[in-house]
Amino acid sequence: MANRWNWLLAPPVVVSLLLLGVTQFVFLEKSFFLDLGLGLSGDELTLQNYVDVLTDPLYFDSMKLTVVLAFSVVLLSLLLTYPVAYLLTRMPPRLATFLLAAIVCSTFVSVSIKILGMVIIFAADGAVSGFFRWLGVIDQSLQIIGTIPGVIFGYIHLAIGFMVMMLFNVIQTIPVRLEEAAQIHGASRWRVYWRVVVPLSLPGVLNASLIEFNLLMGAFVTAIILGGGKVLTFPVLIQRTLTLFNDYGMAAAMSAVLLVIVLVINVVSVVCVSRLKLNLGTVA
Amino acid sequence: MSESSLSTEDLRVVAAPRPLRRRRGVSRWGRNVGYCYLGLVILFIYAPILVVMGASVDPGHFVSTRAFLQFPPNGFSLRWYFSIAPELWASLWFSLKISALSAFTSAVIGLMAAFGLVRGSFPGKALVSALFRAPLQIPFIVTGVAFLQTYYLLSANTGLALQGTLTGLFLGNLFVSIPYAIGSISVSLARLNPRLEEAALTLGASPWRALWRVVLPLIMPGLYGGALFAFLITFTEVTISVFLSGANLLPFSVYVFTSVTTDMEPTIPAMSTIVFIGSLLLVYGVQRVLGMETLLRSGGTSS
Repeated sequence: MANRWNWLLAPPVVVSLLLLGVTQFVFLEKSFFLDLGLGLSGDELTLQNYVDVLTDPLYFDSMKLTVVLAFSVVLLSLLLTYPVAYLLTRMPPRLATFLLAAIVCSTFVSVSIKILGMVIIFAADGAVSGFFRWLGVIDQSLQIIGTIPGVIFGYIHLAIGFMVMMLFNVIQTIPVRLEEAAQIHGASRWRVYWRVVVPLSLPGVLNASLIEFNLLMGAFVTAIILGGGKVLTFPVLIQRTLTLFNDYGMAAAMSAVLLVIVLVINVVSVVCVSRLKLNLGTVA
Repeated sequence: MSESSLSTEDLRVVAAPRPLRRRRGVSRWGRNVGYCYLGLVILFIYAPILVVMGASVDPGHFVSTRAFLQFPPNGFSLRWYFSIAPELWASLWFSLKISALSAFTSAVIGLMAAFGLVRGSFPGKALVSALFRAPLQIPFIVTGVAFLQTYYLLSANTGLALQGTLTGLFLGNLFVSIPYAIGSISVSLARLNPRLEEAALTLGASPWRALWRVVLPLIMPGLYGGALFAFLITFTEVTISVFLSGANLLPFSVYVFTSVTTDMEPTIPAMSTIVFIGSLLLVYGVQRVLGMETLLRSGGTSS
């Protein structure tokens, strides 16, 4: 009976293996050859590309910036969205559905369009700058585009829609009755949050954070536009190496380094999450 | 998770004895603060979109590249809506074709994979499931670089040029859309009550008929949800598409990206507004037909 279903997996597995295996193999192979320009690559296998990536402090600083950026964006958007997701699960369902629909719709707007809006808001003569001038906090225009806080702001903006959706799914699985039970036993509202809601949602929250982290480690659109060419995250450097310098071998080696770092962070967090699950003994 | 998994022992730890409070739940004041916060967050999410909509009706004659981009607009005019370049419409049409193809293919592959994963049983199922999720663990830029180099190699060795073509962009986006489709469909398949199918079989339906008339209609919301997600991911995705685009015909999201980074076309806000309203209608329509649950469930944490 069950065997019949197994065969259905064959086509998807073949497609996935082809798309995954071939592309990953090609670019990893490319990273071991020097790029001589004009589409020619060197004849012999070499680690030169990797040596260049791993020894140049420019790349090291850039990787550090990327990880710190992704980490802080995940943390900040988590703090920002957790209460929103909690409220949405505990409010009248009709209203919650409407608000969630609004948030879901916003995540379907192309990154480029949202960033365009942010460029208008943050421009030297834009709304934010004008507001602060009107308040009298600053007397010149406020420079946000081209700074790291500007890029962090942009990424948070892009992250929160997705984050609310994922956290809503997680918190939804915690029955309200558990909170009521804790309260009947005399726990204060804060104690209920800290000792019931937060621990029970923790594995799901970590999972959602990891997904968001992965997305951030591979994104460069926001960093390019809001960074104004001054915030050089690792993906931005890869994009430049590829489109400005046409150095495919180097771009491949940089991609490989990024891939390895992201995979290591993923494996470590998955192990941590499963330990956590063992400790809690519950929660899907 | 189930409630029974939290023992009374746990609850005693959680709620150490304290004097009982009169009011249970959140106070009215606390609730209002929460709702205000929620409103602010939604305003924050929508601010850039509203600003782009405002810029789209600005009558300004743009002199330099970004001079016309300001908020609030200086007046109201629909002139940009009537001067959208044919290339922009062509790129939108190109994107819609790629996205539709990606949605359809992801749904078919997702359906097969979901049935295999949920109902099949064989050693190494976890491995297959991990294979399906792998595209989400690889940074998108790495996927873009890897596909680009594969296309170069293909065109150098076989003459098959995929970069910039519909097929090339479709394959790159399919790669990242499949996991969402599988997630969405397998969740609805796993939640299906097995008794419904058993009842059909007991009442004399053939297994094939039970599948076709009972199971498939019941998992349709998951199928549509997965297809919608694949469509919208492909439509809005820039990071991978930017590498796989050619010089002439760009997908819409890449068109906007290059326009914002190089020289700004004044009709972009108008076109973006049209596209936003279009996706709003699409999501609204799907939600009316299938309910919000489907959309939310496929939000990425599943599978």
